[in-house]
Amino acid sequence: MADFSIMEQYEFVVTPQGLELIERAEDPQGSGTDMDAHATNSALTVLGSTMVARSAKGALAALNRNRNRNRNRNRNRNRNRNRNRNRAEFDTQDDLGIQEPWEERAKLYALRDEWMNLPMPLPPSLPELRAQALDLLKKQALLVRPQFAMRREEILVEADLELSRYLRPYGIETHGGYDATIHLMLVVLALTDEIGLYYKARWNVPRPNQIEPRLRPFLAAPAHASYHSNHAFQSFTIAFIMSRIIPEHPGSTQLFLSARRIAENREWAGVHYACDTQAGHMLARMILPVLEKVLEKNMLAAQAEWL
Amino acid sequence: MKPYSINRKQDALWHLISVGILTGQHRPNNWSPDAICKPARVAMIDTSVAMDHPNLREAIRRDLAFDLFSTRLGAFPGLLEQKQIGDLGFGDAQALVAGLPGCKALLAELMARLAPDQPPKQGTLQPAASPVFSGHGTAIAGLIGARPARVPYAQAHITGPEDGQLPLPYCGADPTCEIVPISTNFDADPEQMILAFLYADLVNPDVIVLPRGIEDPFRAEPQLHAIDFLGQPLGELIAPCPIPDAQRELWSELAELILKISHRRPVICAAGNAHEEFGIYPANLASDDNGVISVGALNAKGWPSSYSPEEGLTVWAPSSDAEQFDSGEVRLNPERLLEIGHGVPPVNDNHKYSAFGIISTDVPGPGGYAATPFDTPEPQDGIREYGSYFCDFGGTSAACAIVAGFMALGRGLGQIPADADGIAAKAWLLSKCQPVRPDLPNVMVPHLHGEAFVRGEPDQP
Repeated sequence: MADFSIMEQYEFVVTPQGLELIERAEDPQGSGTDMDAHATNSALTVLGSTMVARSAKGALAALNRNRNRNRNRNRNRNRNRNRNRNRAEFDTQDDLGIQEPWEERAKLYALRDEWMNLPMPLPPSLPELRAQALDLLKKQALLVRPQFAMRREEILVEADLELSRYLRPYGIETHGGYDATIHLMLVVLALTDEIGLYYKARWNVPRPNQIEPRLRPFLAAPAHASYHSNHAFQSFTIAFIMSRIIPEHPGSTQLFLSARRIAENREWAGVHYACDTQAGHMLARMILPVLEKVLEKNMLAAQAEWL
Repeated sequence: MKPYSINRKQDALWHLISVGILTGQHRPNNWSPDAICKPARVAMIDTSVAMDHPNLREAIRRDLAFDLFSTRLGAFPGLLEQKQIGDLGFGDAQALVAGLPGCKALLAELMARLAPDQPPKQGTLQPAASPVFSGHGTAIAGLIGARPARVPYAQAHITGPEDGQLPLPYCGADPTCEIVPISTNFDADPEQMILAFLYADLVNPDVIVLPRGIEDPFRAEPQLHAIDFLGQPLGELIAPCPIPDAQRELWSELAELILKISHRRPVICAAGNAHEEFGIYPANLASDDNGVISVGALNAKGWPSSYSPEEGLTVWAPSSDAEQFDSGEVRLNPERLLEIGHGVPPVNDNHKYSAFGIISTDVPGPGGYAATPFDTPEPQDGIREYGSYFCDFGGTSAACAIVAGFMALGRGLGQIPADADGIAAKAWLLSKCQPVRPDLPNVMVPHLHGEAFVRGEPDQP
């Protein structure tokens, strides 16, 4: 049962300093309706922390606000050029554009029991993979056509998992002031690359062109296993994480579509089956609660750039 | 925080006074919690909620809280200590899925998952319900059903009552209701939303609230699939990925399912925050012959908030405002005009602008919309600040949460009969509404006693 005596004795008032807790003066009438009754109240304590955040208020306006538009813009440009040039090779500071996330990796491995045995479905059988490869052959035949020039270009750009496709839905691709958001995405890419390789090694599913030799991949197939698609896994993980940080931002749903496009482009390139894309999505969805613990500080720092 | 005149103060509960739930002294306005025969139940489809917030602890049905963010068929974040979920008293949704084969198949899977001997989570897979990233849901839950509370406080940091208990005099629109949080991610996934709505119906709520949109590629406004371009629907031409036929069917079924559920119980939806012509989906499903309720936002001065949709809405409710500076409207904070300097036309709507937001509950500590200034965990001897426990919220999300609490209160007080369906409940809501101003006859605002909207901030042209 709600204790309304609290409401009778005290009230909250919003002031320029924050939320004030006020002790009410005696109210002999008992049921006043005057909205300006605070004049008779005495302050009990004033310790409202700053209430700077505005949430769903005009999500477009509030969440796209960039208070530090020009700050570190050049630094970001350089960082974005260097980021994650080749995922197969990134293990140095220069390649990632960030320092090795040792602290996050340590947390990740401290929680290894929570993510090393997620209920992933078994990969399809070889006949099923052959059936899926047929669809990739059709995509291969279509990809050479002129109307697919944009997709070809995307495939080449995304081969290195650059960040523009994740930043564009939020309109921050060329803006400074979102250092923590970009840093978070880079750390996610680093951690999920490792998690993904762990799961890939479990089933060691052959790449599509190993199952279907008539398939000529548009890109060189990476040396590691096919199931699941790490591009899908990493892209969807970023989408799920952003969905947790700023769910009300219209870009958060668009980011899922962008991630799906990236993942499907890998099918068009002939290096992944459709089931790889689906499995990458599933793993990303399931890993989120673990990454939320591992990356709490990074996510809070990123969130602070939006609220 | 928006700039305030130095002496301006905003009543943190102005929105409840405006709709007749509280008096100016924050007492129940001609109703009593003792008159609640059975607490109303609100199913809330949104993000997760900080269930341990002191003002929400008594409001949240932890046993029924359901998370679909990370788990396809859902997990029970409030039951993780148990081996089995037990009998949670679910209802029957079979009639809802008649003629909807995709929904029927999903319901069969869901019912199997909800069997009493099922575990709260699937193996090592955890729910994504950490309170830290539960800001939106926590604010929504607070507006619906927060209770006043007392919490132990650290006397080294706060000066408060001698009994060591700090009062948190905050409440939602119905401080007697119970809230069932149903959390989802924001992927454009019809299956997830179908499961969320089916579960919402299965818990037999009096009200379902959806303070968000659903990114249905066929129904989000403007409906691009209805636009023919180069002989093809524009939506298909610009889709990042082709939409499989099965998913297309599920999107259609979801729309039908929402309407069917709305005939059973009201489905209260946020209308959108970007002045969308007829509101976002599924708020734009609202019509006279269903129980979908589309809620727009009204500022403390009693003007529609600048960002609120205006056409096709069911009701308006108190919320925040925002500046607008375009050909549609010039509505700027009069206290900021010197800062803006140039370009403000002499004829404008600046007098309509209100700086008042909607105070609601927030994730305590570092998460949510208002962060704690402390970077160490809360000490055992009590809270060190209460600023991070509340936030300045707004948007049509806030407005629809207030309406959800309003209807829950109507149900709890017996004003909405127990056997009322969605349309009857909606009719009750409309019977409590009055136009906010004579010159805005379509802007209907509820008041518990059917009176006029009480402005939280006086007009000062």
